[in-house]
Amino acid sequence: MKVLIIEDEPALRNSIQEYLTHQGYICELAEDFNQAIHKVNEFDYDCIVADIGLPLGNGLDVVKELKILESKAGIIIISAKDSLEDKLRGLELGADDYLTKPFHLSELNARVNAILRRKKFDGNTTINFNEITIKPASKTVLVHNKSITLTGKEYQLLLYFIANQHRVVTKSALAGHLWGDEYDQAGSYDFIYTHIKNLRKKMLEADGEDYIKTVYGTGYRFG
Amino acid sequence: MVKTISKPYMAQDTASVKISLTVKKDTHSMKLLTKTMVYFLLIMLPVFTAGAFYLYATFNKEIKHETDEELVNDKLQWMRYLDTATINNPVFAINTPEFNLQPTDKPVQTKHKLKGVSIYQEPEDTYAPFRQLTQVIAVNNKNYQLTLRKSLIEKDDLIKNIIHVMLAAFGGLFLFVLLSNWLISKSIWKPFYASLDKIQRLQLNKLENTVFDHTATHEFNQLNAALNNMTTRIHQDYTNIKELTEDAAHEMQTPLAIAQSKLELLLQDDSLSETQLKGILTSYDELQRLSRLNHNLLLLAKIENQQYPVTDQPDLCTVVEKYLSLFEELIREKELQIHTDMIATAPWPLHPALTDILVSNLLGNAIKYNYPHGNVRIHISAQTFSISNTSELPQIPPDILFQRFKKQHNVYTNSNGLGLAIVKKIADSYQLSIQYSYENGWHTFSAGI
Repeated sequence: MKVLIIEDEPALRNSIQEYLTHQGYICELAEDFNQAIHKVNEFDYDCIVADIGLPLGNGLDVVKELKILESKAGIIIISAKDSLEDKLRGLELGADDYLTKPFHLSELNARVNAILRRKKFDGNTTINFNEITIKPASKTVLVHNKSITLTGKEYQLLLYFIANQHRVVTKSALAGHLWGDEYDQAGSYDFIYTHIKNLRKKMLEADGEDYIKTVYGTGYRFG
Repeated sequence: MVKTISKPYMAQDTASVKISLTVKKDTHSMKLLTKTMVYFLLIMLPVFTAGAFYLYATFNKEIKHETDEELVNDKLQWMRYLDTATINNPVFAINTPEFNLQPTDKPVQTKHKLKGVSIYQEPEDTYAPFRQLTQVIAVNNKNYQLTLRKSLIEKDDLIKNIIHVMLAAFGGLFLFVLLSNWLISKSIWKPFYASLDKIQRLQLNKLENTVFDHTATHEFNQLNAALNNMTTRIHQDYTNIKELTEDAAHEMQTPLAIAQSKLELLLQDDSLSETQLKGILTSYDELQRLSRLNHNLLLLAKIENQQYPVTDQPDLCTVVEKYLSLFEELIREKELQIHTDMIATAPWPLHPALTDILVSNLLGNAIKYNYPHGNVRIHISAQTFSISNTSELPQIPPDILFQRFKKQHNVYTNSNGLGLAIVKKIADSYQLSIQYSYENGWHTFSAGI
């Protein structure tokens, strides 16, 4: 899977590259508008991560260019501006998702993952992780080919964990993913633990392995 | 117990603070026109008095002069008549205040003497002013003192008349000044009052629409030009500051994103010790707090800049239900009782994003500051929206209620002290009322259209 990261800040560009590469993507980089236009014209990508504010141009114009090229790539816009207009404009132009800076790398990765699944396989694919099989189309989860029943939140958790397998995922990233930005209105992350406990229990009952590891006080690692 | 909210002047609040140039009602100030009128009358009063005195003196002199001429004329006629009179003529026996011939030993005078005298008047029991002419003359070789007098009694009438005329003139002038003042204020001062009215209505965030028009008066044009200049400058400064706030907040997001991503990558390092990981995580969480803070400050600025136009009217009940389900875990965890009393639809004139923030901030607080097994009551009518919750916390002092960064307690580290400030800002910017009350352990926030 090839991903093009269009971001002018070198440090952020490299962070994204490092994280996504580790998750098995082949990453290419573009640091300004011209490079971005050049690369999307020259090569095919499965997914494009584009910053809006670029030197020499606007990330939204890259989206336009991709549409002219009739590219099938999934597009995620990242922006420092939490602007509803930019968001709507981006999605209108054909972007698939919009992420406001600062974001969790695990969240970006999960979204890239979800878009690729949707775009490339029309959702008709299965996600496999050892004995676990997930069918996103029907939202069913099989462990050793035995169906287990998960709540909505537990299902989302499992998808997020598998997308970010072998990586430490922080509680705040999990809370942000499951409840959106409003979760910080309401207090602690403690309730995440309940969902994780239930998910782990259901998988153990189906003779699955215990993949969810608590990493000190920091968060969780799957697999 | 409803508290009215007062907020000290702060940079962010300027837009909502009306520039008030209304002078406090003090008894020492009067309208410019009243003032000119009073001064005018104060100057006119001595002028009129002096005029009255001058008129009196002039008339007095004139009357004296006229009377004296008459007396001299009379004398000449009398002397002509007496020259022909015989000794037995009854004229020698006449003795009235007006005419008197008195035999005398004094030598004959060639010139008459004129002077003013007061003569007792029997019927009125007063002394009356007279002009008197005396001359010793010879009639039939005998010397007589001739005395002719003429009453000046009209002089009193004269003073009365003068006072009347003066009073009438003064009164007339007074009325004239009043009337012209009224007419002047109607026409000449009109642009001035129009400008004043405009200044009083001035709001910082609506300065660009304020234009002080051209008038037919030079001075007002100068004033209006100065005001136009001033508002333009203030507007520019205000816009600059606004943009700076927004730009700064946006610019901050990128370094935050970099730092956060680097820390997230660091967390993946297996060789780090537990203490090191915990240090990284604390920094990571604090960065998130900073970014949320930044986000909320930006939000405050955006609300103030009216960047959320009322495009459609979201249904408040739907929004409340959405957040009740979003906060479901939290409600369940604290085992809170939620009581709702909502009418089916309540479209509120707010941008959907702001409706979300209003509801999530108030509902979030009601859950966060509640105690286990506590209660939350939500009431929505067509015009009002109120959330009450039980809490062990005491009443929030009204002076810090909606202020930024005024946390009521330090127990809840997750609070950034901006939630209620944002609620208040939304209410202020969209003409909603927001009130807080506390009774028997129940904290209630009510918003109304």
